[in-house]
Amino acid sequence: MDEQFRILHPIKYYRDHINNHIRPDGRELNKFRPVLVNIGSINTSDGSALAKVGDTTVICGIKAELCSPKVESPDQGFLIPNVELPPLCSSKFKPGPPSEEAQVVTQLLADIVKNSKCFDLKQLCICHEKLVWCLFADLICISYDGSLMDACVIALMGALKSVQLPLVDYDPAIDNKLVNEEQKNFVNIQGIPICTTFSMFDKNILYDPTQEEENLSSCTFNVVLMEDKLCSVHKPGGTPISEQNLMECIEVSKQRTNTICELIDIALKKNKT
Amino acid sequence: MPVDHKRINAPESAVPYKLFTKLNTESLKEQYQKAIRDGIRVDGRKPSEHRKIFLKTGIVAHAKGSAYIEQGNTKVVTSVFDPREIPNRTDYCLKGEIYCEFKFAPFSCPKRRLHQQDSQEKECSAIMKKALEAVVCREEFPNFQVDVYALVLHNDGSALSAAVTAAGVALASAGIPMFDIITSSTLAIQGEHSLFDPNFREELLSEIAIEKEHGVVILCVTSTHQQISHFHQTGNLQLNTITQSIDTLHNTCKEIVPVVQKCLVKSVLSVISES
Amino acid sequence: MLILSSEKTDNPARIERTYYLISENIRIDGREREDYRPMEIETDVVSHAFGSSRLRLANTDVLVAVKIEVDAPYPERPLEGKLEFFVDCSANATPEFEGRGGEELAVELSNCLSSAYRSEEVFNLKKLCIMKGRKCWKLYVDILLLEVGGNLFDAVSIAVKAALWNTQIPKIKSINVDGSNIDIQVCDDIFSCTKLDVTGAPLMVTVCKIGDKCIVDPNAAEEQCSVGAVVVAVSRGNICTISQTGTGSFHPDTFKSCLILGISVAQRLEDSLTETLGEIKANQDVGFLK
Repeated sequence: MDEQFRILHPIKYYRDHINNHIRPDGRELNKFRPVLVNIGSINTSDGSALAKVGDTTVICGIKAELCSPKVESPDQGFLIPNVELPPLCSSKFKPGPPSEEAQVVTQLLADIVKNSKCFDLKQLCICHEKLVWCLFADLICISYDGSLMDACVIALMGALKSVQLPLVDYDPAIDNKLVNEEQKNFVNIQGIPICTTFSMFDKNILYDPTQEEENLSSCTFNVVLMEDKLCSVHKPGGTPISEQNLMECIEVSKQRTNTICELIDIALKKNKT
Repeated sequence: MPVDHKRINAPESAVPYKLFTKLNTESLKEQYQKAIRDGIRVDGRKPSEHRKIFLKTGIVAHAKGSAYIEQGNTKVVTSVFDPREIPNRTDYCLKGEIYCEFKFAPFSCPKRRLHQQDSQEKECSAIMKKALEAVVCREEFPNFQVDVYALVLHNDGSALSAAVTAAGVALASAGIPMFDIITSSTLAIQGEHSLFDPNFREELLSEIAIEKEHGVVILCVTSTHQQISHFHQTGNLQLNTITQSIDTLHNTCKEIVPVVQKCLVKSVLSVISES
Repeated sequence: MLILSSEKTDNPARIERTYYLISENIRIDGREREDYRPMEIETDVVSHAFGSSRLRLANTDVLVAVKIEVDAPYPERPLEGKLEFFVDCSANATPEFEGRGGEELAVELSNCLSSAYRSEEVFNLKKLCIMKGRKCWKLYVDILLLEVGGNLFDAVSIAVKAALWNTQIPKIKSINVDGSNIDIQVCDDIFSCTKLDVTGAPLMVTVCKIGDKCIVDPNAAEEQCSVGAVVVAVSRGNICTISQTGTGSFHPDTFKSCLILGISVAQRLEDSLTETLGEIKANQDVGFLK
């Protein structure tokens, strides 16, 4: 009976659960799903990471290529994130060009990296005005079950932390490049931004919502923090949220940020050994 | 080239750095001899040895059925969705259709892949479709199509074979009516060497004519009926070599069947214990 | 005597008749199992192409034109030229091609061709290199399906081979290298061209399984009777690509007998094609487009 009720009256089904302070998947309203991070399992890429937040799985692979910099920023390289939501991950998506959601997430991710200043593009410069690195960070969602941004940010930062770039000997006079693959250096990461997603259902705030919860809720927003500092709050429309509630969410995210950073560090150490 | 407004665009001049590493001056023959020395391959396998397979179902939370396969370093995710009406079709068709999409992740190969399907991926999709059509009871869902997606996360050779095997498991775990279990295996031939389940390098070297005879053979077999559901070969091979490879590959495919069965039993048991 | 109309029907009586006749080694149009229908081939039919051919096999009509351009080789294969196949299905060829119907078949055909021509033993792309890593010839093989009357793979492969045989590659007079700029001068004399070596160019034979017997060159009705077919591409007696069409599956033994039949038929086809092409004189002025 339970399943039928869930399909026929999803909102009532949820309301019944939430009035009793429990969610259909057994979590309390203020509980997060388990997070799993795995770094460096794909050796065809220059850096890779897999992040799992509950049933949402995102894999990120970074490929480094050489190119010439933009004229207006001759000493900066490129970091190009791209989130792919293939039809493989959910029946919500169909084959073809990137869906609207994929475009939003991609742009949001690019903004987070840029605004938090967690990654300095100047370190990607090899020769002023001539040659820089271009990092293609491709994120693919394998399984889609809500809180996509959380998983994307973890996967991207995990992958960036594991990127090793070879040394390049460049002779600007004759445009000659020689890549020395035996010597590789890690890139510098100034900090790790962590994103936390929340949903509003009636007057309650659900932490780390699943896909179903996101669909039924009146608004979904996420908070990005980097080392106790607020980077961004993204709340695209929906019902308004009180200041008190928002402050509460930011406070909770702070605690979560620390645990996830530790998690990434542990995964990184595991990869190195 | 038209600008893609739906993605963040990279500078057009970007080239992979591998092109500027120290040139490999070894001839192809020497490279191949390095890949197989005294009958032992780089990863320590014998020529007829298959890599270990790890199979798991239920990877994609909201798909009808899904499977993840790891064959050595090769990693593929496949997922299957509920039958849906065939888009843009007006006439009635007696048999259901299978839509296959095979894709390499941009970071899965030594060279970066683009987001749009290229011709190799389209070819792989077509091979997968033909291989799976022979095992699915398509008359059970007339006028409907079943979507099968395969995504290669890491290509270390034999990716198509791994995808076909995993897609078979995903279809079965989705409860799509099937005649049989399907398994697939690849063979890379160069001269007198026949390497089973080749890795990326072996596969690449076998596509180039170092010896007169060379090529890559892919065989997809249904297990109980012992039928070839699809056979694909490229390169340049004699008839004898091919008939021999059919027999040996057939045996390899048989050896994979228990792995598939075990995985399916496990997924059924977990469904029972959940309810 | 049975008369077969060109329209496609699912008439069960006819299918049964086809089955019966094939097991008796005679087909509805009087051929034996291993016989082809008569073919007509012309070369040099498109004056603006570097090489062209047109093949008519009963109701199947194919036009192939080869175009040549100077291009940069792939960085990973600096010594090789490029060869690309493009199949275009005329909407008039068969009713199924209306809209985007022919696209799938076109992709299948061009995939099969490019994988058959991929091996160096079959077609040596190194001959198309002009300057290592910088410049090479790129051949575009455009295939236009004018009418579809069964057995497309065979017809297309024969027409492509004939068109490549007919192709003339301009001779290069001089190459000037100035930094990253490369200037290529082509010989003024339009008659001094090199011909391509097509002795290894593969021919494809579709072996169709009907009942428990295999036939070649199926007509449209016979194609309907069979559940699956094996396409065997043969070059100098070796197999360079095997693919399957249709949705059926094969028993390994049947599959092997298909391959044996495919090779022997391809050999005969190859011989008669070489003979026919040898009879074509240079600078002939007949052709259906001229």
